[in-house]
Amino acid sequence: MSSLLMAGLLFTPLAWAVLCLLLAFRAARLASVIGMLLQMALSLALWAWVAEQGGFFYHLGGWAPPLGIGLRVDGLAVTFVLLTALVGAACGLHAGLYLDPSRPWQRYFWPLFWMLWAGLNAVWLAGDLFNLYVGLELITLAAVGLVVLGGAAPALEAALRYLFAALIGSLAYLLGVALLYAEFGSLSLVGVGEGAGSASPAASFALLIMLFGLAVKAALFPGHTWLPPAHGIARAPVSALLSGLVVKAAFYVAARVWLELGPALEAAVVGVLLGVAGSAAVCWGSWQALRQPQLKLVVAWSSVAQIGYLFLLFPLSHGVPEAVSLQAQQGVTLQVISHALAKSAMFLAAGNLILSVRSKRVEALAGVSRYLPLSLFSFGLAGVSLMGMPPSGGFAAKWLLLQASLASGQWWWAAVLLVGGLLAAAYVFRIYRASFQEVEESDPFYHPPRSLEIIPLVLALLALGLGLVAEPVLSVLGLPFGGEVLSP
Amino acid sequence: MIERARQALLGAACLLFTVCLLWAVRHLVALPAEQQALSVLLSRWLPDSGVSHPVTAVLLNFRSYDTLLEIGVLVIAGMVGISLARTSALEDPAMRSADPLLHALLRLFLPLLVLLAGWLLWAGSSRPGGAFQAGALLAAAGVLGRLAGLPMAFLRPGTLLRAGLVLGFSVFLLIALLGALDGRAFLAYPPGLAGALILVIEAGLSLSIGMILLALFVSAPVAPEEDADGGPPA
Repeated sequence: MSSLLMAGLLFTPLAWAVLCLLLAFRAARLASVIGMLLQMALSLALWAWVAEQGGFFYHLGGWAPPLGIGLRVDGLAVTFVLLTALVGAACGLHAGLYLDPSRPWQRYFWPLFWMLWAGLNAVWLAGDLFNLYVGLELITLAAVGLVVLGGAAPALEAALRYLFAALIGSLAYLLGVALLYAEFGSLSLVGVGEGAGSASPAASFALLIMLFGLAVKAALFPGHTWLPPAHGIARAPVSALLSGLVVKAAFYVAARVWLELGPALEAAVVGVLLGVAGSAAVCWGSWQALRQPQLKLVVAWSSVAQIGYLFLLFPLSHGVPEAVSLQAQQGVTLQVISHALAKSAMFLAAGNLILSVRSKRVEALAGVSRYLPLSLFSFGLAGVSLMGMPPSGGFAAKWLLLQASLASGQWWWAAVLLVGGLLAAAYVFRIYRASFQEVEESDPFYHPPRSLEIIPLVLALLALGLGLVAEPVLSVLGLPFGGEVLSP
Repeated sequence: MIERARQALLGAACLLFTVCLLWAVRHLVALPAEQQALSVLLSRWLPDSGVSHPVTAVLLNFRSYDTLLEIGVLVIAGMVGISLARTSALEDPAMRSADPLLHALLRLFLPLLVLLAGWLLWAGSSRPGGAFQAGALLAAAGVLGRLAGLPMAFLRPGTLLRAGLVLGFSVFLLIALLGALDGRAFLAYPPGLAGALILVIEAGLSLSIGMILLALFVSAPVAPEEDADGGPPA
């Protein structure tokens, strides 16, 4: 049963990418809706299976690691698979209505969208260092393709910048993988983790450059400069996918590698460095978000800040009691989920607002609150989660991180959480202030279809409600990993 | 002044990186060869892989999942390339030439290239070679034709080209699913058929890889229209 589920989960996005490449935009949209439903059902079924039976290894092609590739299907992986299905489907539905079918290049949106989905699932489930690299490449190229769609000069410039940054990150990661393989003779994460019993200089160097590369790919300060132009210039549903899911993939890989190798290699300094960079990202990203003249750039810089919180995992999970490390991991996982939901909601809502006021500028929002309350409402709800106010998922995440930082005696990270929350409130309220300006003339705005406005609202409500269901969500993450091998 | 300081800093960082890398590699060379374990495993299972060349066995059987996704990456590259293409066909009518000498040369070269590609594809099962090399040769034949101005109007960014881009990938994907539907794992070959199926996959991949590389060579970079995110759909 679960073997078929896995095959379906891996096959569907790739098959739909092929199918959609051969169809025109409207037909591909119809096919994609069916594919999204299928993928959603498969993800839910797999999640339910793991919640009931525990995690397992899935050996592709029937070959066990280290010769073959094993997928690690645990609670965390299936949670992210489900999150991807949710956010991906929302962005896909939104894009189907938002993109203009008369442009000839829009047909390429669907195949790229499915390739991106396939890459994300590949990364969440991967248990092999080189397989993770391939998954990251799939994601990066699909994401760059989505940014550049249409090929206008500014988009091309932003996409190239993104591509170069991502390639440097990939190559650094690949070099690290090569060094680790030379040292331990295995590519599987488990195999490498078992081998790294004691500190070894080559493995430490490998870990260092891998984390460097992944930090650049995840847009960690100061390697963040590629993110705002790329996420700002892409079409709104694409930005939502990029900010919501794509940057998390690089972080996820970094966290997996760190939790496997960090303790063995005694890399405490690296952890603290990453934490400091994350804190700087929170402050600098929020400050820049406060000053951007364009709406989507505000949201993009806010992503730089929110990604910073994730990197607090590194200092808070090293050299601390097991319980504190677990708390930090749970907090960061919640932050990933809540930011994915809230930021995609925010980008989709921002896209609707831009569509309505026919301008990208923040000042152009004057009068929006009276005539287009729904999209503005979704934007604000998502903002509540970014600020970390109860009962949102962002609040639950920050609460856990706060407790972890106090329990580990590293109270200074708590100050970062506080400052970040205040600055987030400032940049969200700035948008609100602009939209509450009164305009004299009667409704001058374009009104997007209601379905376009509902989608971000649903995502924002999910982000808001996540804090209430944090307990059951986290319980799936802590499921016992049976390690049962699933191969005939 | 600031620029010079930046360059000096960058240079120092590169130097530090190189020194660290050399030091790490030196340490690794001194290690006892631990990956022996893996090569023992490889030679133990090679007879079951359907091919006799270890690289092909790893690429298309033991770690075929990586290869499947890598082909996906190539398909994306080809797709993005043609999505940006300004030309409506992969040949440029302005470049068509009737130079008899050039055409005589091509009459010699093109069949040779195609023959060589076929041989490389076949050789891949027992010695170095395979789909990537064969595809590169096919693409080279196409590039030569394009540079010499041969009419290739059939290679429009239309359905045929798109189907060509994904042909190999689709064959691979369907064969991968076959294993799962049969009760085995995703990407598992039916017993006894591995060699034949690998050849089928590689044949499809050669064509598609050649097509992707050629499409990338020919695609022009920028479309003139602007399509920024700034207004309602027309």
